[in-house]
Amino acid sequence: MLLFEKRETVSTKLKAAIPLVSVFLGLVTGAIAILFTRTNPIIVYQALVKGAFGSVYTFSETLVAAIPLILISAGLIVAFRMNFWNIGAYGQYIIGAIFGSFFALNMPATMSRPLLLTIICLAGFLGGALWGLIPAALKAFWEVNEVITTLLLNYVALYILKYLMYGPWRNPESHGFPLSKPFELNAQLPRLLPRTRIHFGIILGIIAVIIVYIIIKKTKFGYEIRVIGENKRAARYAGINITKNIFIAMAISGGLAGLAGLAQLSGVIHMLQIEINPGYGYTAIVVAWLASLNPIIAMLISVAFGGLEAGGYQIQMAIRVPFGIVGTIESAVLFFLLGGEILKKYRIKLRRNIL
Amino acid sequence: MNVTATSILITLLATTVRSGTILLFPTIGEIFAERAGILNLGIEGMIIIGAFFGFVVSYTTQNPYLGFVVGMLAGGIASLIHAFISITLRGNQVVSGLALTIFGLGITSFYGQKWINNKLPESIHAVAIPGLSKIPFIGPVFFKQDYIVYFSYILVLVMWLILYKTKPGIHLRAAGQNARAADAMGVNVNATRYFWTFFGGLMAGAGGAYLTVAYATFWLEGITAGRGWIAVALVIFAMWNPVNALIGAYLFGGIDALQFQLQASGTTIPSSLLSMQPYLLTFIIIIIATLIVRARHLGAPKELGTPYAREEK
Amino acid sequence: MDEIIVQAKGITKYFPGVLANNHIDFELKKGEIHTLLGENGAGKSTLMNILDGIYHPDEGEIYIKGKKVHIQNPFDAMANSIGMIHQHFMLVDTLTVLENVALGLKSQGLYIDKKEISKQIETISKKYHFNINPYSKIWQLSVGEQQRVEIIKTLFRKAEILILDEPTAVLTPQESEDLFKILNQLLKEGKSIIFISHKLDEVMEISDRITVLRKGKVVGTVHKKDVTKGYLAKMMVGREVLFSLERKPLKRRGEVLKVKELEAYNDKGFKALKKISFSVFGGEIFGIAGISGNGQKILAQTITGLRRATRGKTILNDADITNASPKVIANKGVNYIPPDRLKVGLIPNLDTTENAILRSYDREPITKRNFIDHQKAAEYAKSLIRKFNIMVPRIDAPVKLLSGGNMQKLLLAREIAERPKLLIAVHPTRGLDVGATEFIRKQLLKERDNGLAVLLISEDLDEILMVSDRIGVIYEGQIMKVINIEDAERNKIGLLMAGVNSPKN
Repeated sequence: MLLFEKRETVSTKLKAAIPLVSVFLGLVTGAIAILFTRTNPIIVYQALVKGAFGSVYTFSETLVAAIPLILISAGLIVAFRMNFWNIGAYGQYIIGAIFGSFFALNMPATMSRPLLLTIICLAGFLGGALWGLIPAALKAFWEVNEVITTLLLNYVALYILKYLMYGPWRNPESHGFPLSKPFELNAQLPRLLPRTRIHFGIILGIIAVIIVYIIIKKTKFGYEIRVIGENKRAARYAGINITKNIFIAMAISGGLAGLAGLAQLSGVIHMLQIEINPGYGYTAIVVAWLASLNPIIAMLISVAFGGLEAGGYQIQMAIRVPFGIVGTIESAVLFFLLGGEILKKYRIKLRRNIL
Repeated sequence: MNVTATSILITLLATTVRSGTILLFPTIGEIFAERAGILNLGIEGMIIIGAFFGFVVSYTTQNPYLGFVVGMLAGGIASLIHAFISITLRGNQVVSGLALTIFGLGITSFYGQKWINNKLPESIHAVAIPGLSKIPFIGPVFFKQDYIVYFSYILVLVMWLILYKTKPGIHLRAAGQNARAADAMGVNVNATRYFWTFFGGLMAGAGGAYLTVAYATFWLEGITAGRGWIAVALVIFAMWNPVNALIGAYLFGGIDALQFQLQASGTTIPSSLLSMQPYLLTFIIIIIATLIVRARHLGAPKELGTPYAREEK
Repeated sequence: MDEIIVQAKGITKYFPGVLANNHIDFELKKGEIHTLLGENGAGKSTLMNILDGIYHPDEGEIYIKGKKVHIQNPFDAMANSIGMIHQHFMLVDTLTVLENVALGLKSQGLYIDKKEISKQIETISKKYHFNINPYSKIWQLSVGEQQRVEIIKTLFRKAEILILDEPTAVLTPQESEDLFKILNQLLKEGKSIIFISHKLDEVMEISDRITVLRKGKVVGTVHKKDVTKGYLAKMMVGREVLFSLERKPLKRRGEVLKVKELEAYNDKGFKALKKISFSVFGGEIFGIAGISGNGQKILAQTITGLRRATRGKTILNDADITNASPKVIANKGVNYIPPDRLKVGLIPNLDTTENAILRSYDREPITKRNFIDHQKAAEYAKSLIRKFNIMVPRIDAPVKLLSGGNMQKLLLAREIAERPKLLIAVHPTRGLDVGATEFIRKQLLKERDNGLAVLLISEDLDEILMVSDRIGVIYEGQIMKVINIEDAERNKIGLLMAGVNSPKN
């Protein structure tokens, strides 16, 4: 029988080892899953690593995939620290993309680029924030379970996007395909390096990470959300305005997801369409959790997971390994991480039968 | 009402029952898991695992009933991951459930790609119950269904009896409400929780398998389309009572059937707006249900989501 | 009569960092009441939880009726005719009495025979004059009734050995007398009883023999007739104990808090305060005595703004603070020591500094223009630690690692540092050892002498009698009567706590 003995202190080594071992075991699980398809996992992983980090171009694609993860996970960290389960980054990302697109598609092509980019970024942030504020309000006023509301709103957002793409926003020249008109140059985030798709979003991401880090570590608001997250009753007792904090936290959280969606359009896709990769909204949950809700570590993990995503696309194209393997590995990493957390709280011993 | 209108309504309601059955199983399962104290947000993942294995086994063996059973078991096995993490390792149940959902969607997409757009040669057929199916209106809606639907009727009744009238029912309610008291009275809290989490997985698997072997009869990546989350919402709507779950599941089955029928009838309403309805309505209903639960001071099981460890003060 | 029914030899139990039981020997004779006496944390409950199979000993042996037994779980305990009545009742409050009795029964099959169980419950109920309806939900019962359900549970399972863990903590003096009558009746029927307590008066009243524990060790086992209260106290604490605290004469000042016809509802939606009215003056301790669940918690929450008042007013120094936000009320000078320090007053996973600044984090010097100065915060925490002599392992260790007494000191220090006009303290010494208890009570008296108005809410009547200047007895959300300490009699207060207002007053 397993015996759990409470631990009082946790060494830094252990703290670092748990996520690393989890990632390793997650990859082993993925390898086992691959074996069942009678494919050699070593070949798959080689192709994956090559597809993620093998050349300057593939590494640049890894960074491109990391941009939305960096932005979203930074936002999720704010909400998760408050114990507010924002599972709705997927929908906030879509609504942000739609809000930003509205301005990108409707402003004159002659408008100054910095001005229009500022407008669409703000619109993207605002869209995501508004979408995040719906569950925030429901939670703050009526205690409606935010896991369910944020999730359901993901589907609502997806169908709003589909409606726009098959209806009013479809480009009449797209031969029936659900695509918008392409963004004019003044609505495209600048690319930073020649012959890569790395765009200005990465700078937005770094700024967001720094701001979130300062917010949670140094400000009154950061202390308050921590108290709310750890013990809501103590927060009420201390007179912390929980409603206000839920609103602010979700505005940041949803806003950054919305900005991520907009950045993906304005920086990479250059038009609104149905497939705009909102799935980053779920991957970012894994990233945030793996980083123990530390935005700077989350940024590094985003790059690793960006590699997984970019490599995942590569192996799907090159050796026809379905992209589903990425979700399988990510979830397995999360399982091991969750299981491993117990080592921080307890020493586990096998009970010798003394009786 | 003229004859055609009646027969359209009957068809619609019969579809409602079948569409509702997909939700009914997982909702019942989650009610029992939550009653025992385990929050499993991995329903979506377990449903799709059940759907996938149900489909593949039905396809390869040409036996949809075997497919249903295997799909159910697959859901049950998947739930054990969540059970181990949240019961034995006392991990965070919200995140573990989400991981299970990501896992289910990922693994079925990984293995499912080569099955996309295959159609089952043999699916489950309706069997009219002699006598009952002759009752006007009620008969064709409820008693010209397949065996799995009949099984679900019995299940609701049996589960209601178990919950309120039997020893396991008292044990599981105690485990979710006051684990320490249950433990002190000799109830093995963790075994109880394992069992009902597993049951929840079986039921989610059953719902998913019903989707692919009886309702849709084909495989598509992400075929569950968020039904798992609707089931999670229905648990609150049902106020943790299996009989209410029946009402909730059919209500949403009805909306699903209606929007589907409308799309098929060539309405001018854009299909994406129709497809949105089940989610939007669930969203609204969950708000109302929360307010009712609060006004009536019902509330979730007190120790929902809280791991139990005996030797801690 | 001298048959030894339970014998524990060399019982040792470690918890991480604590030796809860250190080679304890203990025996219970058939037909006796054997009291386990000791302070909070002396290891009494651990020992009894071992007998009940909830904990497993690391060393030692247990014999029941001379036979060595291994009690793995509460089932085994029941099989060995041991029935335990826990301090915190092991009842599921959404289930009925009957369902609670049926919980874990081996004798029942899959389907519960409600008629049969209900019949048996009624038989037991009649025999001991319990008057319990088997179909009532637990949450509908009073605390005294719930305790009777616990006794029914053990008798239903044919327990021969009853363990009662601090059973009188939640009862009025009269209810305690009733309980003692029941215990004596059980003894006559040949049952044996282990009684756990730290209240010396009742120990002297009910016990045959007494075993005293201190810091996990047996200090000694004595016959009641051979000892005095003072002697027992010294055995228990290891030094002379003050049975009363030195108090300076009352210097009452102006009215600080006026509660006028206040009403509020509890979480279940029932009216828990019914037009309650009273006042608290500067320089006095106003004690509210009552049995648990008569609205005490709701009262404190309503005054501090954590619960909405549906009617009536609370007035602080002539300013209406009814339904103001907790922050506004705190800023106006009301500070609050809540009943459950780990659930409300402190944040267990945060460190000492983060807990120390919970009241002052949003002001200078700790916060300037929305930014927290961590250095200033740490200095502030250290100043509290020094002033109240709080023992912390490390200042950045989670506060849950502190002992109960140090946690409560930290909480009290933080609240007093706010220089309140009114301090509300609910069960401020619950679960603390004698030293910490004395410390907390002395602090309350000191603040009283400095002119603070103190509202003390406690279920421990001894505590109320020891420190209060006036006592209001609460019953079903109303103040039955306010009594000056000079006129306070235990019995009279006990009756008031049970809702009996003697007509001559």
